[in-house]
Amino acid sequence: MSAAATSFADQRHGSLRGRLSNPALLLLPAGLFLGFIYLLPVIDLVRLSVGGPTWSTFFERVFSVPLYWDSLVRTMQISLTVATLCLLLGYPTALLIRRTSGITQILITAAVILPYFIAILIRTYAWMVLLGRNGPVNKLLVGLGLLSEPAQLLFNRGTVLLGMTAVLLPIMVLSIYSSVSRLDAALPRAAQASGAGPIATFWRIMLPLTLPGMGAGFLLVFVAALGFFITPTLLGGPGDQMFAMHIVQQADFINSEGFLQALAVVLLVITLLFVGVAGHFLGFEFIWGGSRAAGAAGQASAADAGEGGAPRRSLLSGLADRVGWPVLRLLGRLSPAWGSWTVFILAGAVIATLILPILVVMVISFSSASYLTFPPPGFSLRWYEKFFSDPNWMDAFWHSTVIAAASAVISVVLGACAAMGIVRSEIRGKSVIMLLLVSPVIVPPVVLGLSLYSLFLRFDLVGSIWGLASAHAIGGIPLVVIIVSAALQGVDRRLEQAAALHGASPLTVFRTVTLPAIAPGLAAATFFAFLHSFDELVLSLFLSSAQLKTLPLMLWADINYQLNPVLAVVSSLEVLLVVIGLALAGPVLARTRAGA
Amino acid sequence: MATERASLAEPSAEARMSGAARAQGSIGAGIVLRDVVKNYGDFRAADCISLDIRPGEFITLLGPSGSGKTTLLNLIAGFQKLDSGEMHVDGAPIDHVPTHKRGFGMVFQSYALFPTMTVAQNVAFPLRMAGVDRATAERRVAETLEIMRLSEHAQKTPSQMSGGQQQRVAIARAIVRRPRIVLMDEPLSALDRRLRESIQIEIRELHRAIGSTILFVTHDQGEALTMSDRIAVMDAGRIVQIGTPVDIYRHPQNRFVASFVGESNLIEAEIVQRRGATMALRNRAGYVFEADAGHGIEVGRATVLVRPERIAIADGPGPHAMPVTVTSALFLGEVLRIEARTDSGETLLIRCMDAAGRSLPAAGERLHVSWGAADCWVLA
Repeated sequence: MSAAATSFADQRHGSLRGRLSNPALLLLPAGLFLGFIYLLPVIDLVRLSVGGPTWSTFFERVFSVPLYWDSLVRTMQISLTVATLCLLLGYPTALLIRRTSGITQILITAAVILPYFIAILIRTYAWMVLLGRNGPVNKLLVGLGLLSEPAQLLFNRGTVLLGMTAVLLPIMVLSIYSSVSRLDAALPRAAQASGAGPIATFWRIMLPLTLPGMGAGFLLVFVAALGFFITPTLLGGPGDQMFAMHIVQQADFINSEGFLQALAVVLLVITLLFVGVAGHFLGFEFIWGGSRAAGAAGQASAADAGEGGAPRRSLLSGLADRVGWPVLRLLGRLSPAWGSWTVFILAGAVIATLILPILVVMVISFSSASYLTFPPPGFSLRWYEKFFSDPNWMDAFWHSTVIAAASAVISVVLGACAAMGIVRSEIRGKSVIMLLLVSPVIVPPVVLGLSLYSLFLRFDLVGSIWGLASAHAIGGIPLVVIIVSAALQGVDRRLEQAAALHGASPLTVFRTVTLPAIAPGLAAATFFAFLHSFDELVLSLFLSSAQLKTLPLMLWADINYQLNPVLAVVSSLEVLLVVIGLALAGPVLARTRAGA
Repeated sequence: MATERASLAEPSAEARMSGAARAQGSIGAGIVLRDVVKNYGDFRAADCISLDIRPGEFITLLGPSGSGKTTLLNLIAGFQKLDSGEMHVDGAPIDHVPTHKRGFGMVFQSYALFPTMTVAQNVAFPLRMAGVDRATAERRVAETLEIMRLSEHAQKTPSQMSGGQQQRVAIARAIVRRPRIVLMDEPLSALDRRLRESIQIEIRELHRAIGSTILFVTHDQGEALTMSDRIAVMDAGRIVQIGTPVDIYRHPQNRFVASFVGESNLIEAEIVQRRGATMALRNRAGYVFEADAGHGIEVGRATVLVRPERIAIADGPGPHAMPVTVTSALFLGEVLRIEARTDSGETLLIRCMDAAGRSLPAAGERLHVSWGAADCWVLA
């Protein structure tokens, strides 16, 4: 009797413990955090947008005022153009990375990766310097006698497209490269041995196989471009207003509540629509750089390849046969050297575009002139002195550092737990949960900032360090989840099982086996979460106060007011931070990628 | 051996080939390499290689990894350029002909099937590239799939097939144009043993049926022995010996070939006496035996190869038997594999057929072994 009771109690105790030790619980903290600070505000945003006399009042206004409608069309056009340009320029660059080896490959890869981690604000500023009246491009054109006096090269559609393409290119290159690098090197050889020339090999073999990477890159660039705010604001003229810029402008008017939210909802819905359609075809894994195609090929899942792939492929290849192939046959008459030269020249131009602006800015930071000019008349450290002696800049630098550190802590703690939960639990609907965790990446920052603003007002968080850190963590958590879950998947489960078999408790297993294996990934994740917050501008525009200026906010104010070499100093320091961070995280990252 | 097994597989590739296809079957081309050199930086991957491959021959490049066999294959395929030397196919130089115009077929270790195409499209690819019209191409593809017994898989994608099936598709793709030369780069190394043996037979039959010259690369000496008309053994970027499988196995020209091809006992011995065509030798344990004196070594020491299966176990001690101590014995089914030590401490490997009444010797047991003059091969 008593024995039975004890065992019953044991069992209940065990099942309670069992439930508490379920790894799925690790998803809870991140879930609650994002639910409160991300989902709730977005829902609130939608609620306000339909809060007019009828639910559609505000939306009707958005679509009937030509200003907004035109801007929406323009935003689409610009985004589509930018995505197309990125594709055309990114593909040869990805191919070049694959074709080269050794130190050349490392340098080219660095030229692509480095800009990827430098703040959009700084890269846009670099273009303003490069194309400014006293910038190197104007100097060169005048020097060559092509212009009689420096021309206004900035503030037109061309510079917007150029700037946005340059800013978004790394995403495209990395996306295409990830699918190019997975190709079996024997495939192009097999095509050649089967009698296919270089063009046929490219068209029949390489292109179809890299289509998923191209699709993913195109979508990522397109969607990011839809919500772009910083670059078009700085580089565009009055005729280049993009949709996100209207939202920021309207936010200054108190009486536009409802309509303002409707604008944001329109942008959000369009973004989600494109992501949804793309996700349907490519698999939503494209958002975090995974690939459904690769997974299917690895596991040789017969059903998947059979039903989904065939009809679409035949349609595509039919089109390719009728239109593309005859054109390429004509190109085939050119000497084979043309192909390599095209790749070489295009990719060379791309690399110059990515790295030159940064170099120019770094040179200018050592200028002795009191205004922006290139080449600098002499060397001096006066602007570095000015930066380090100006209390405003120092305060901003300190604020940014504290906020970024706090944000990195929040992101890594919540994100790493969530990654454990998602990789190690048997929970159903993993891909949906992953999608939710990663979704902040695709929401336009302007929409996020606007939705957070009312939440921050209600809880009096505007201008508070923890408030900003939490807001930045919305974007930091996805980064951590992506990196740490990739690292976790690289850990051999059997190692953990072996440790448990030899008597290690779950906590000891984690401490002695799992943690050391994912430590590099955690370190990289911490760095990227820190950098994300350190660079963040758009959310801060909405959520900070005059007392709490961050470094990007100071930069933003100064760029709009006057371009002076102090900005170049800040930019150079940021580049230095990224270079050091990448040098430390580089080997780690390579290993994480290999593991994934 | 190979022929015997081939006749068991039914129906044979020859039988499966229609008369028309056989009549078209191209006669393979001859390949001539003269002083071919290829360096990778400081590393000399191909060191002055000269080789004559006869039209229609099945020739195997055999060697350990890094011996230069794949480099040589890549040079012939045109994936890499020669540093110096000459390459001719049927008398015409091919150094400056790009891969896709050489018209060879090739089978890769990783299969390298195009994942976005079906089996039929993969096999049709070389024909499409050659501009063969659709009807002819369809007929040829169907024929080739028939030969490779893949007809029912025509509409599958490569990822839906097993490794062995994928390799057969790769072979079908390589032969669909009836090329003069088919290159095979370790095509069977990713398959398990049973499958490997059955595809070995299939490739062998196919070779007889289509008549192409086949250049086969492998590091597996057993595979090379079973399949080839001739074997070129490679080491450190050079061809160290070329000959028929029997020749290579029985009469290796140096220690490397002797130990790389098959299992071997290399016995250091002293020449005691010459008697015309034979000579008497004494090993360190004092055992005196006879060998053919073909190689012109007069006096001093020689290395003698005795294959493990050529060593006989005597019934008891005698003047022509050497006593050894068994160190280990394994029962492998049809044969016993015995390791023994001579009284002077050399290891001796012995293989003998399992026979009625023969028991597996225990470690430490004393045996008496012997071999005749015809069982020895004196290395140069």
